[in-house]
Amino acid sequence: MTLRLAGVRKSYGAVTALAGVDLEVGEGELLAVVGPSGSGKSTLLRVVAGLEPLTEGRVLIGGRDVTTLSPHRRDVAMVFQDYALYPHMTVRGNLSFGPRLRRQATTDTRERVERLSGQLGLAGLLDRYPDQLSGGQQQRVALARAMLREPRVYLFDEPLASLDAQLRAAARAEIVELHRRLGTTTLHVTHDQAEAMTVGDRVAVLADGALQQVGPPQQLYDEPANSFVARFLGSPPMNLLPGGGVLGGAAGTLVGVRPEDLELDPAGPIEGEVVVVEALGSETVLAVAVADHRLAVRTGPRAPQRPGERVRLVVDPARRHVFDVTTGARR
Amino acid sequence: MTRAGASAPATVRPALGFLLPYAVGTLLLVVVPALLTFRYALTDYTGVGEPRYTGLDNVRRLGQDPFLRAALTASALHVVIAVPLRLLAATTLGLMLAAPRPGGRWYRAAVYLPTVVPDIALALLFLWVLNPLFGPLNGLLGALGLPQPAWLATTWGARLGVVLMLLLPIGEAFLVVLATRRQVNARLYEAAALDGAAPWQQLRHITLPLLAPVLVLLAVRDTVLTLQVNFVPAYVLTDGGPANATLYLPIYIYDQAFEFAAFGYGALLTAVLLLLTLLAVGLQLALVRRWRIVR
Repeated sequence: MTLRLAGVRKSYGAVTALAGVDLEVGEGELLAVVGPSGSGKSTLLRVVAGLEPLTEGRVLIGGRDVTTLSPHRRDVAMVFQDYALYPHMTVRGNLSFGPRLRRQATTDTRERVERLSGQLGLAGLLDRYPDQLSGGQQQRVALARAMLREPRVYLFDEPLASLDAQLRAAARAEIVELHRRLGTTTLHVTHDQAEAMTVGDRVAVLADGALQQVGPPQQLYDEPANSFVARFLGSPPMNLLPGGGVLGGAAGTLVGVRPEDLELDPAGPIEGEVVVVEALGSETVLAVAVADHRLAVRTGPRAPQRPGERVRLVVDPARRHVFDVTTGARR
Repeated sequence: MTRAGASAPATVRPALGFLLPYAVGTLLLVVVPALLTFRYALTDYTGVGEPRYTGLDNVRRLGQDPFLRAALTASALHVVIAVPLRLLAATTLGLMLAAPRPGGRWYRAAVYLPTVVPDIALALLFLWVLNPLFGPLNGLLGALGLPQPAWLATTWGARLGVVLMLLLPIGEAFLVVLATRRQVNARLYEAAALDGAAPWQQLRHITLPLLAPVLVLLAVRDTVLTLQVNFVPAYVLTDGGPANATLYLPIYIYDQAFEFAAFGYGALLTAVLLLLTLLAVGLQLALVRRWRIVR
């Protein structure tokens, strides 16, 4: 079931949250929407869910215009960042609330609740209340509640943001696995660029209510459409310097090089001084002061460089990105 | 000091210091008078002179007192009618006015305002409001072509008149409901909307269950208040009449203790009121447990 947004605008008084978004999520695709806070990504999700009325534009699910339909008639299921589990209901109550309202047969619902909670490792927890569950368990209850709906589109609003780092990595893999198994069209909103890159079949970068670029993760990483995307994706972010400086390029441009595309080379044309050595185990990130700027350089593990040491760098010319200094657009 | 007290964390000791003024106040203003009341309950004390211990004479008098039966009936009817209606009014208004909207603060202020009006002023106001001949209430009812009861002159008219008056000072319960409703995570309503819950289903399945603990608390508190603290308005409005229809226990106790110089008997009636209040509250809490209103 495809999901399409056509010219979607949303403003709250004078504040524009979405400034004309056109977006299509293909049948069975998982599209990750990523952007800094305040970029409008949550609004985007709420507009699709029907929790916020549109100012302008249309939302289509499977070709059907759902713009004016109430949330439960859109056949979407949402997983909220704080899970929004009903605190006065047991896990069983939380899961069967929707089916009960939709007047689905009780015995059938009970069976589905049992089966699904077994699959998600919640079998022994059905009679517990949400405040008796760990964060990871709550997240799986929220997921199960959405799955019981058997929706045509899943909407994930930062479903991993409330988990601690270790759990988040595991849950991220679970979501990818789950999506592969279910094959349901999914819109996954996150502020974490690494999460977007790992879960998304494609990634949409949003800033100030406008789409900056939509494409497969690697494409966005290798060919960012503008300097915002270049800076936003990747950690540490891309080195961006005014053209005509140490990274070359013409005046009136911004020249970008990713930390891994700067190589240490005794014969390299760029000379600088190592300021900080960040040893991350599997890799080392050097901050190198060159003229008035600092460049991040990614090298292998156990780098021998020490702060104060002078090094020389070389840029792979094929991996140099040039952006317009005023519009930020890729040249 | 108990062993648990001895091993209590160092923060407990200063806390005890802060609690001391309240402990002294409770002791002097509640515990001592209560003990004195229980002692006077078995005497023929009139308010002056020396009380004389009369054994169970006062208790025997309870059984033969026709006014006591009237007072119990009046109080019971009053609680059964007034508490649910006051709670309903406070809850309805609290839920309706909880959402922030333009001008909302004026409506909220309007609901709270009667609560700051002194009891006596409210009662005097209602003497006028309920006046069958020139009161505005009957004027309104007449204009709508509805029957115009002789409010304070008939038994049920008087009972309902007092309840009507007490439907205005509900500001505290209103505020508690309002604050509790605002604490509820808005995402729950969005999740419920996605689950397909219509507004009344959201009220039934989300709002009311989450409000339940607070509503129980308010019901208990209002029962105590309605049984015991409605003295001033009722005294001014009806003074127990007509035909003892509004002879609530506090009024009857006042009559016995200070009008009929039966202070000892009044003290015993006070103990009866205390017992009845405990019973009413106990019954409510038993129902709460039985019906699993609170998790």
